[in-house]
Amino acid sequence: MQKCTVSFLGRDCPGVVSTVSSLLSEADCNILAATQSLLKGEFAGIFMVEVTDDLPLPELQQRLAQGLEKAGVDLSLIVRPSCEGTWGSNLVCQPYVVSADGKDGKGQISAMSRVFSRHGVNIESLRAFLGEGGANHALFVFEIMVPENVDIGRLRRELLCEGQNHGLRVSVQHRDIFEAVNRIGSF
Amino acid sequence: MLSDREVTNTLNMLRNEHLDVRTVTLGVSLFDCVSHDLELFIANVQAKIARYASQLVPVCDEIGAKYGIPVVNKRISVSPIAVVAAPFGPEGMVKVCKALDWAAKEARVDFLGGYSALVEKGFANGDRALIESLPDALSQTERICSSINVASSRAGINMDAVAWMGRQILGCARASEAQDGIACAKLVVFANIPQDVPFMAGAYLGVGEPDVVINVGVSGPGVVRKAIDRLVARGTNDKGEALSLLDMAEVIKRTAYKVTRVGEIIGTEVAQRLGLPFGVADLSLAPTPAVGDSVGEIFQSLGLSSIGAPGSTAILAMLNDAVKKGGSFASSSVGGLSGAFIPVSEDSSIEDAARNGNLGMEKLEAMTSVCSVGLDMIAIPGDTPASTISGIIADEMAIGMINHKTTAVRLIPVPGKGVGEEISFGGLLGRAQIMPVPKGDCAAFMAFGGRIPAPINSLKN
Repeated sequence: MQKCTVSFLGRDCPGVVSTVSSLLSEADCNILAATQSLLKGEFAGIFMVEVTDDLPLPELQQRLAQGLEKAGVDLSLIVRPSCEGTWGSNLVCQPYVVSADGKDGKGQISAMSRVFSRHGVNIESLRAFLGEGGANHALFVFEIMVPENVDIGRLRRELLCEGQNHGLRVSVQHRDIFEAVNRIGSF
Repeated sequence: MLSDREVTNTLNMLRNEHLDVRTVTLGVSLFDCVSHDLELFIANVQAKIARYASQLVPVCDEIGAKYGIPVVNKRISVSPIAVVAAPFGPEGMVKVCKALDWAAKEARVDFLGGYSALVEKGFANGDRALIESLPDALSQTERICSSINVASSRAGINMDAVAWMGRQILGCARASEAQDGIACAKLVVFANIPQDVPFMAGAYLGVGEPDVVINVGVSGPGVVRKAIDRLVARGTNDKGEALSLLDMAEVIKRTAYKVTRVGEIIGTEVAQRLGLPFGVADLSLAPTPAVGDSVGEIFQSLGLSSIGAPGSTAILAMLNDAVKKGGSFASSSVGGLSGAFIPVSEDSSIEDAARNGNLGMEKLEAMTSVCSVGLDMIAIPGDTPASTISGIIADEMAIGMINHKTTAVRLIPVPGKGVGEEISFGGLLGRAQIMPVPKGDCAAFMAFGGRIPAPINSLKN
């Protein structure tokens, strides 16, 4: 058996998940893990599947694409082999939440993420709330995993500095505080 | 992954609503420092405090930065000095007080509490020496806080102590005349004092407490007010029904839960990092003079023109109770005072109400029957007779004694100033207009002395 990742991207509508999961089933794929997300009406789904070794991945991609076309569902599709292991599995990391808000502008996410990249910090989740705090207001929330060898004080200073350069107010907080405040039995 | 609501709600509390940990207080028992030799006792005390407190401030700052929540005050509480320094006279007590002040400065904490005596049933030699020393001790030190417990529900009210404290409060005011009697801001008279209060000026480490312990005081009146404001702006409860006070109590309870969780997580981590046991979270709404960090503003959000208006005592009762309910669910170790504070000079909204004549001593006294502490940070005329101060204390102690609750009095007679004049202590102590005291003479009553017996525990009405 071989493992691969199948991702779908396109306009959301009722029946999207039913269609893609049926196609995977018809292709004899066993779904090992799945996630889906919606962003302003756009659907993104990632399925990690197990498939027989005698079905080449390009052929699987072709069969799924034909199935989507036949079902009249407008989704883009990528099939690629899965890699073993995940980033950070051999690292001791601490989860932090970095929030940055201010007047919306170009290059803000890029500037913040460059700092993360420079420190070897992985972004696990990024969300942007635009216009919710007033016109042209942006709030970016990064959930990151910080390896233990990273100097959190220096990371914080660089993020504050980069945020200031882009008109953003930045705060860096351990994720436990968000969970402690909102969830029962989280610590 | 955190939900959008979890992220935005928490960020709002942290950024815009003054959520902080008001104090992390290191309790240090001094019983093993005792000596008949004053110099040796002082050396033992300073060495023990230094041993445990040297890392308190850096660890609190580091953990505050980790969670993005400031630990505003780092403090120390110690065993009641009247007990551990019992062999010494008033002059020796002043030396001990100065040594504690030095230890507090070395540890870079803003206050050290425990210059205290427990005299609800009578005086021991150490108690007499400590109370006698109060004017000198508190006026010659900066960071030492004192509490004197003069009453309890089990022992009654020591009226000799009440009368003496009236005189000593005036003595403290005169000894710090150049600073408008600021020594009195560091002195509080209690009924039923808890042994684990982390808040000043009442903090001390009781005899049943561990050798060293971390207690945490959480606050958050700004967070509570904003939560109420959001509910009022929405206009309906979760079921879409018109709002009632049940909904208000519920939102206060939930908010207190959140605030207390913050204190608990930070307190337990500070304790863990210092290798010490975690004691209690004191979930009190403790205001500061900053706008938006006021208990008084909550009364306005709940529909009063200002604190002091009719309905204030009812609101305070609901507020105090809801805070306790939410907080006690959030922490398995709740203690200290736990409730709502109404310190006049330290709360801009309460101070405004007093200045505008909407809140007087009588209404404050009524409100203290349902709040967590008592008559707090009230500036009164410098020529107030000692017997009047004692009478006010006696009334407040009676409320505590009969209702089996903590009550306290922290009055500041301002030398040379009268009703309507202004004083400013700066910082967290705030500013105030001098308030009139109740009319009438109680000198003959105070002259009786003795003890008001403890109340009966049955036949309650």
